[in-house]
Amino acid sequence: MSRRTSGSSAEPALRGGAAPAAALDFRTATATVDFDSRAALAGVDFHCGPGERVALVGPSGAGKTTLLRLLNGAQRPSAGVVTADGLDLARLTPAGLRALRSRIGFVHQDLALVPNLRVAQNVISGALGRLSTWGTLRALLHPRRDDLERAAALLERVGIGEKLFQRTDTLSGGQRQRVAIARALFQEPGALLCDEPVSSVDPARARDTVELLNALAVERGLTLVVSLHDVALAQSCFPRLVGLRRGQVVFDKPAAAVASAELESLYRLERAEMTDDAS
Amino acid sequence: MRAEGVPLPRAGAARTPFTRRRLIVAAVVLAAALAAWALDASLVGLVPQAGGLELVRDFFARALRPAWSYEGEAPAGAAPLWVAALVAARRTLVFAVAGMSLALVFGAVLGFLGSRAWWEHEPAGGESRLARFLRRSVAPAVWSATRVVIVGMRSVHELLWAVLFLAAFGLNNVAAVVALSIPYGGTLAKVFSEMIDEAPRDAAQALRAAGARDLQVFAVGLVPRALPDMCAYAFYRFECAVRSSAILGFFGFPTLGYSISQAFENLHYGEVWTYLYALCALVIGIELWSGALRRRFVA
Repeated sequence: MSRRTSGSSAEPALRGGAAPAAALDFRTATATVDFDSRAALAGVDFHCGPGERVALVGPSGAGKTTLLRLLNGAQRPSAGVVTADGLDLARLTPAGLRALRSRIGFVHQDLALVPNLRVAQNVISGALGRLSTWGTLRALLHPRRDDLERAAALLERVGIGEKLFQRTDTLSGGQRQRVAIARALFQEPGALLCDEPVSSVDPARARDTVELLNALAVERGLTLVVSLHDVALAQSCFPRLVGLRRGQVVFDKPAAAVASAELESLYRLERAEMTDDAS
Repeated sequence: MRAEGVPLPRAGAARTPFTRRRLIVAAVVLAAALAAWALDASLVGLVPQAGGLELVRDFFARALRPAWSYEGEAPAGAAPLWVAALVAARRTLVFAVAGMSLALVFGAVLGFLGSRAWWEHEPAGGESRLARFLRRSVAPAVWSATRVVIVGMRSVHELLWAVLFLAAFGLNNVAAVVALSIPYGGTLAKVFSEMIDEAPRDAAQALRAAGARDLQVFAVGLVPRALPDMCAYAFYRFECAVRSSAILGFFGFPTLGYSISQAFENLHYGEVWTYLYALCALVIGIELWSGALRRRFVA
């Protein structure tokens, strides 16, 4: 075993401001997902071109989260085909799936940060998909200066640059959400998938965050798919809306073309659905 | 007055969940009564024998007057009593630190291997035949073997291990350290594995979704979340290890227990109390130190 000369042999993908991955496209063909005989998705055809920005809207339990989880392979379809960047997810090897996922940033509803790590460590952990196991310990316990600088620049971009070295659990909910976004951006992804990213913040902050996600997608040329329950917000920020209800696509059109009658029927709940809100 | 009731939903076999709870409490009380009956235990057993009361009185009378110098003749060339107490306390601490260090290694390795999370694996499409064999056959076997080893280590008390090693290796410091580390390592492994398995999985899933491999998910997404609890528990066990290390002295290892047993046999109760207070000071010192660390890192 030759000893590495210190500093010179970095994990290549982490060096400097790595070039962003090319924007990804996603496609599902008659994708069905069954949970215990209940269909979370029933034959969904969905396509999102590279660099496109799409909002998934619909009531809770409509299948928005399941659709997003299909797109990065976190959920496997019971039937149908899912492709990302032209690759059939069901045919990927574990290594292939990891490589694909390292190019997809996912912002989770519950943010899913490690609360007792520093903000910088949480952001840098976004790059795990490109690191060896040893490189992981190195990157988190003794971060390289350029990783820290890149994390700082991303935090600055999302508006909380001064929090780099704070413990994550000392941050407010809104700030933590920015950390989760910065972590996804640290991957240098080709797409951002966001599951109800604003469900836990107040309306003013929600708009701010959704606008930030759109601005980031535009300036970095990312594909952006976001699930939102606030239809007005979705309509004013996204060029394209996909309405889901009971696991099926109800409409899929430019935001401006969605009529208020369509939205009304999307959210008109039947009595049984009121108490059965499994998402 | 009775309200006109609606029919209650059924809760399993019992009529309501509360019926079952009452039965459990009754069973616990009955078990205690049965045990007492089986042991023929009665309060009469606590009345001291002739002369016993006197001994107890003499012993506790010295609690407020621990010895400052040797009662009876000082051993030839011996250090003053307070120095001897400090030296014995330091040895007690050294045995505990050595035993606990080894126990932490056992605890971490076996705790990781014995947790379910370590073996968790997301099934993917193109899994190789070898990978599937490892996952389906080898992994569960290693996990089960680890759990068996952990139970085996825990089920024998450190004093019994000490007796065993004494017989095998003689009065040897390493024997004491290993005797201490085996049950402590087993207990740490059991508790560490449970803490890791109970840690919230959200961050781990997020890292998996970002392309991290299993080991990275475990090391970055799960272990840090369990670490504060693991540290707090390790400190508690360290305190226990100090007490156990003192007790090992009763078998002749040069810790506080040795000094205590010698002084007790010679009826030097003042000296016994001096050594007991040294042990208390040691445990309190560890408590203060761990509390300070906890405030700094966890709060």
